[in-house]
Amino acid sequence: MSRIDALTQAAARRLASRTSRRSLLGMLGRLLVGGAALPLLPVSRVARAAGGASGGAKIDDPESCDYWRYCAIDGYLCSCCGGSASTCPPGTSPAPMTWVGTCRNPADGKAYIVSYNDCCGKASCGHCMCNRNEGDRPPYLPWVSNDINWCLGGENKIAYHCSTAVLVGVADK
Amino acid sequence: MARVGAPRLAALALALVVVANFAPRATAADFVAEQATTAKLADGRHRVWIHDLVGIGYAKATLLDADSGRQLAQVDTGYLGMELELSAKSPRFYSAETYLSRGFRGTRTDVVTTFDATTLRPTGEIEIPAKRLLGLPTSAHASLLDDERFLLAYNFSPASTVSVVDLERGAFVGEIEVAGCALVYPLGPRRFASLCGDGSLLEVTLDDAGREQARKAHPNFFDPSLDPLLEKAVRAGDQWLFVSFAGDVHPVDVSASGLTFGAKWPLTDAAERASKWLPGGLQPFALHASSGRLYTLVHQGGADTHKDPGQSVWVYDLATKKRVQKIALDELSTSIAVSPDDAPLLYSAFLGAPALVVYDARTGTRLRAIENAASWPGLLQPIAGDVK
Repeated sequence: MSRIDALTQAAARRLASRTSRRSLLGMLGRLLVGGAALPLLPVSRVARAAGGASGGAKIDDPESCDYWRYCAIDGYLCSCCGGSASTCPPGTSPAPMTWVGTCRNPADGKAYIVSYNDCCGKASCGHCMCNRNEGDRPPYLPWVSNDINWCLGGENKIAYHCSTAVLVGVADK
Repeated sequence: MARVGAPRLAALALALVVVANFAPRATAADFVAEQATTAKLADGRHRVWIHDLVGIGYAKATLLDADSGRQLAQVDTGYLGMELELSAKSPRFYSAETYLSRGFRGTRTDVVTTFDATTLRPTGEIEIPAKRLLGLPTSAHASLLDDERFLLAYNFSPASTVSVVDLERGAFVGEIEVAGCALVYPLGPRRFASLCGDGSLLEVTLDDAGREQARKAHPNFFDPSLDPLLEKAVRAGDQWLFVSFAGDVHPVDVSASGLTFGAKWPLTDAAERASKWLPGGLQPFALHASSGRLYTLVHQGGADTHKDPGQSVWVYDLATKKRVQKIALDELSTSIAVSPDDAPLLYSAFLGAPALVVYDARTGTRLRAIENAASWPGLLQPIAGDVK
């Protein structure tokens, strides 16, 4: 991780831990650093809309798109790819920059700050595609845009493999 | 298996050669042997490029004849390739592309590739800084300026800049910093706009060498907190049409030396808005220029459903700003496009299904589905029948 990347991520986390989503959104345009995680694709939601996928919501299953941490994720779930909700599969590396979303855990009712780290360095995993867009915004607000491939910087590892949802703080005080 | 001696083997080989040389002529005197050649690209009234994200990997674009339903050709567009920059004036097109030297690892190289639009062969490339935006495809990631001398590519590293390529000289010119803003929207031969996170529109003017000559921020174009704009804008001649999450059209007139911001107008009435009808998808807007009609892909959803698929296309007359048609789609859709001719077809594709579905745009009649058009359909790009 380069220094500037580390600063960017640290700044993003600090900012998210101090501010509400609304005020965060208002600040975004004036800031250059930051970031969204992961590519795209409204596939899982769409599969459900088409009546194709699983029955009940699995809000406590990290291999389910309904898992509560994934409220703004976009990509293949690393939990299905040899990693977990917070670890990259062997041989891949977490992107040094991410964006932070805010998801509510129904188990304790609290909102948590979630860092969506892409895992990089191999071809896409291809399992458990999931796209949810709570708070997602277009790339002019990169901190909150899950359209962007964040496998950039750091050893040229731009190939996108899968996405994690790492808890980095509690939003509710 | 019986062993065969060397003399016998030689005799057998000789016999096979004789048969191979003389047997066809002996049985069909008029037989003409084929030679492998390359087909010429077929023309057609309704040809359309469908981009394939290939599961988030190296992408490709397939050219289909929407009338016959047949595949005509394919080009490759690199890692996470998004779209082609089609020329309105010359038989070529361009593609901003990214490659890794070892496929999925190694050194990253970004290029603008020129294709011959007749042969579909790459005819040249210009290297650009290896930091163009990668991710969900958007047509605003790169654009030709109006006289097609300069091509712009938006970079995100995460610093926001724009790479300027001089296609006449075949050279990368330099980068223009657009901090706090993103993407590129052509405003003429030497001007472009970027959409900014503080709700402003940044206007940048280039000189004839492709260097920045002037810039102007237009504040309060939209409110990113209350009703953000979708970045998926369409251009109708001298007007850019940006649509908000809630469904308001924000027109920007670029015909004058500056920019004129028109009054916003709604796609939906109060009842529809209360019922949460919203635009959404990957490519939710399409323009039919000669009739002045805007096609919009809509769905019923709530907050944060701006990427959801739809099954309804609502059509608006840009002169009156009134809805003139509703088309019900049989399948879910995330991308729509309309052919530019006077018997327009409406194309529809869904990221989660491999077909391109073709409708008569005037009647809304479903004509056909072209199966297996793309594994992960991305953007659609119709081409005019008389411009290859």
